[in-house]
Amino acid sequence: MAAVGAMAVVVAVTNLPAAAHHASGPFYDNTKSAEADGVVTRFLFRNPHSFLFLDAPGENGETIAWEIEMGTALSMSRRGWTPDTIKVGDAVKVVGQPSRAPGTYGMCCAEISQADGSPISPAN
Amino acid sequence: MRMLETTTQTAPKHLAAWIFGALFLGLAAVVPLQAQEDTEAIPELSGLWDGSPRSRPINGPNMPWTSENFPVLNERGLAFREVFDEAISPKYDCVPSTPPALVYDPYMMEVVQWPDRVLLRYEKDDQLRTVWLDGREPTPQDYSLQGVSVGHYKDGALHVTTTHFTFDVTGFDDYNGIPSSQLKKITERYWREGEELKVTLTVEDELFLREPVSFTTQWKPGLEGYQLQAYECDAEIARYPVKFLVPKYR
Repeated sequence: MAAVGAMAVVVAVTNLPAAAHHASGPFYDNTKSAEADGVVTRFLFRNPHSFLFLDAPGENGETIAWEIEMGTALSMSRRGWTPDTIKVGDAVKVVGQPSRAPGTYGMCCAEISQADGSPISPAN
Repeated sequence: MRMLETTTQTAPKHLAAWIFGALFLGLAAVVPLQAQEDTEAIPELSGLWDGSPRSRPINGPNMPWTSENFPVLNERGLAFREVFDEAISPKYDCVPSTPPALVYDPYMMEVVQWPDRVLLRYEKDDQLRTVWLDGREPTPQDYSLQGVSVGHYKDGALHVTTTHFTFDVTGFDDYNGIPSSQLKKITERYWREGEELKVTLTVEDELFLREPVSFTTQWKPGLEGYQLQAYECDAEIARYPVKFLVPKYR
């Protein structure tokens, strides 16, 4: 279930938007919160920012392709992340700030966990 | 080695040889003295330095340019900032950042000190700045993205002056839409304070700023065994989030 609405939960920021590459404000609305439970279709572990792509069901049963901006591969690798920390087919839960441009399904500054809510450990 | 050989020569048989020998002896007496003085004045700045949040607050719209040191723009700077659209920022095409942004970016930096130059290697954007210590001056052909840096050691610090930057539409920082011009001048003073490397950086740019602005920051020593990683900016992914912006112009 994907939902975008007024922020009702405190989001623990575990993934900086781009580790200082750009401000998140022009891209993402920090007054709102978005949530997606889906399956990973692609994980790009790159600089200047990484991206996680997942398909998640929308409110009307449609499939929404979410694009989650994460930190730089450099800074994430210092915390133990690798290109294999998240794999295609993994079920994940993402809560973050939704993108501003109408019709887009981007998210940043997100807390990413496994589908059951348990944390994703870079060591896994 | 060459000076040692000169000082061990026997007495000259001819006047010309005597003068030649005397000149070399004079050089032998002067050069080591100058080298010794230079050595005493050179601070130990070499090493890998950590500019991540472990050392200082991460950069952002209000860091390192706070309400106390935020630049006062002239009319030209204000007008440029008014029309600036984030989407045109060159960083979304992997164009590297320049000082002052490059210096404050939250990454590792390596300093290498050679007799005639200091190398500043930045993990961010795979950038290298060379600070020339040999007295050279930039020519009109030397304009470049990172400009030309010259420096000297004084009072236990490395003093660097960088000019000859090319125009950069986001040359002031990564956040505030302030450009920098060919008149940008960056002055840096690097010194050690305990285990930390510190810098005071000043920006001048008469084309956009009413007065110089400065910040002081620091690096902690990099974690032992860490080596600079390749940044290898990916042009496709660099531009990817731009589609999430609400465009300023249509």
